[in-house]
Amino acid sequence: MNDDMLGIILAGGQGTRLGKLTKGTAKPAVPFGGRYRIIDFTLSNCANSGVNTVGVITQYQPLELNAHIGNGASWGLDDLNGGVTVLQPYSSSEGEKFFEGTAHAIYQNIEYIDQQNPKYLLVLSGDHIYKMDYDAMLDYHKAKKASLTVGVIPVTKQEAKRFGMMNTDETDRIIEFEEKPEHPKSDKASMGIYIFNWPTLRDYLVKSYATDKSMEDFGKNVIPSYLAHNESVYAYAFKGYWRDVGTIQSLWQANMEFLSPHNRLNIGDNNWRIYSKAQVLPPMFLTETSQVNNSMIVDSCYVAGEVDHSILSQRVSVGMGSRVVDSMVMPGATIGKNVVIDHALIGEEAVIGDDAIVKGTATDIAVVGYDEVVGVEKP
Amino acid sequence: MKRGSVSAIINLVEPWEALEPLTAARPVGMLPFGGRYRLLDFPLSSAINAGIQNVMVTSPRSGRSVSDHLRSGRDWNLDTIRGGLFMYPYNDLKLVAPEKKATLIHHYYDNSILFLKRSHSEYSVVMSTRNVGNIDLKALLRYHEERDNPVTTVYKSVDPKLLMPQNTILQLTDKGMATAVMPAEKAKLPKTAKKAAKNMDIYLMSTVDLIEILDEANRRGDLISLEELMKQAVIQHNANAFEYTGFQANIHDLASYFAANMSILDEANFRALFYSSRRIYTKVKNEVPTFFAEGSQFRASLCGTGGYIEGQVDHSVIFRNVLINRGSQIKDAVIMQGTRIGAGTKIENVIIDKNVVIGPNLILKGTPTEPLVISKGQHIFRQTEVVTSD
Repeated sequence: MNDDMLGIILAGGQGTRLGKLTKGTAKPAVPFGGRYRIIDFTLSNCANSGVNTVGVITQYQPLELNAHIGNGASWGLDDLNGGVTVLQPYSSSEGEKFFEGTAHAIYQNIEYIDQQNPKYLLVLSGDHIYKMDYDAMLDYHKAKKASLTVGVIPVTKQEAKRFGMMNTDETDRIIEFEEKPEHPKSDKASMGIYIFNWPTLRDYLVKSYATDKSMEDFGKNVIPSYLAHNESVYAYAFKGYWRDVGTIQSLWQANMEFLSPHNRLNIGDNNWRIYSKAQVLPPMFLTETSQVNNSMIVDSCYVAGEVDHSILSQRVSVGMGSRVVDSMVMPGATIGKNVVIDHALIGEEAVIGDDAIVKGTATDIAVVGYDEVVGVEKP
Repeated sequence: MKRGSVSAIINLVEPWEALEPLTAARPVGMLPFGGRYRLLDFPLSSAINAGIQNVMVTSPRSGRSVSDHLRSGRDWNLDTIRGGLFMYPYNDLKLVAPEKKATLIHHYYDNSILFLKRSHSEYSVVMSTRNVGNIDLKALLRYHEERDNPVTTVYKSVDPKLLMPQNTILQLTDKGMATAVMPAEKAKLPKTAKKAAKNMDIYLMSTVDLIEILDEANRRGDLISLEELMKQAVIQHNANAFEYTGFQANIHDLASYFAANMSILDEANFRALFYSSRRIYTKVKNEVPTFFAEGSQFRASLCGTGGYIEGQVDHSVIFRNVLINRGSQIKDAVIMQGTRIGAGTKIENVIIDKNVVIGPNLILKGTPTEPLVISKGQHIFRQTEVVTSD
């Protein structure tokens, strides 16, 4: 168990690239895979790695996220000596504690972290789909006697242009960091996962905010400064399945990959379960007229139509004569009769009226927002 | 309802013999029902939905399955600082040695009395589990408070033809008062009777009165079930009779257990039981979504999560984590958690208990009145291992 390592999940980003879906909710709270929300993967990884004390830093539209996390009991994180704390900006004599970048978010929550008094600080994003053992990463961090360890994932040259790239020597020590390089020198992309020796990071942040306030972002500011000061910074290579779901296209794609029984994520592996907020709902009901193929369905769904290569989340109903293809439908959405949903993401509690057509393509996914009503004539 | 004003005793000491082998290692109240529930969840949810926070569950034996299901009571919101869930195992006197039994005389009801005294509740409700329903206990309490008799019972008005020998019925006066509880066969209903008041085995009374009944039974040295004491109380005092009008299933033997599961595949029944304003709570599990493979056909059926469906399923209740292989045909079946069905196997009118493995290309067939039952954990790979009931 990692009594020495505190987990911090950065869940405050607006997620503007998810468009309508994050208009009223934080990106980590966006539903995924039928019965999860994106943050469940990171929270479950913490629980499974023995990181029992976790702070979740929120800022943008936190209500749904707060309700989802609750006291952390659903992840077994309602620990007697730790547990989950949702950290929201507050005002103090030094001003309001809203934050601009990732490192600034840590600085603004320095009091919480000091309360926990960790040796190591594990910094995570709340918007990735993966299963990762942070304890193994900590072992690596200790073995390398690193000041900072950065989780990296191999990417292609094409993809590298979207990531912060780590150039390492033969011992995996990071010697150079390049943000979204045109001509990448390595294939090691930062996953936005860091283990810091907390006292060192604390010094950097406190000094910076006492002077030039330059330490806003880990990628842009902290890592370059660490490298400039010759801190020992190492890359920890993660080989498993990992997806950033920050865009409509990547969110849809990861959901479609999730559908495959051969998905490398291996969601059914009971040795590394992904937990989510426990809800008690009646079982799914598929009627006489249903036709379901290659699809995932969860509790409290009602299907009278056709569902092909799609994911239905809790409480979704699909009326008779409707056809849902290559799509992901979020909790509580109601799909009427004779509707066509094709290559689409349907937001929570959306209502699709009878005979409506919501049709996207593999490169241009159709999106219906939360609570949006499509094709129902106003009375 | 004011917090703490009502306490509940859910009695799992119920006749189980006719439900063997399903009840070989579990009390009737732990029978799986409706894709993800246990029978116990229904009275427990009724209690929770009425704001009852003091609940005692009595079980016949060790109650391992019961405590595994209920744990701290968190999933029913019963892990509160006031009241909560109290378990009281080892109530089946058939399992008690004679010398131990002798020491129970005058003390058999001590734990119940202690629970009731400590609950500081004004009223108490006693329930069992084999009459599945979704009852509004707040309405029952109002009904009780408006009437004079010390005890209120609950009945469902049913066609006498649907009564089973195990059922008891209430004898009602013209004014709707219950004067007796008796076995259906002894009731001598007129042949023309269209309705009978089927006893739901729910009794509400003041906690003081219930303690008095139990104290008296202790003084007499009774060693009889709580249910029996309740019936005596009705005969002794007369009772108000509250009519329950919602969905009910009557589970006494294998055929009725099977029929009850089949009956919730009727959409109206399904909605009445599960989608009223009173939710049914159960132990929550983190299962992955159920995957329906290419070529599967799953119709007119219920399914829990964690399943993997490749074959054909028609008019069946499938619980959590069930694997149904390609080419299998399943019709009118109840398949419990963790069971695996081999490719090409045909199943009809069958109840399959938890964690069973059925090999490929077998035929398992029962009838609606005599469903074939495969008991918990069996592995069947040869047709000769299947004992068909026809």
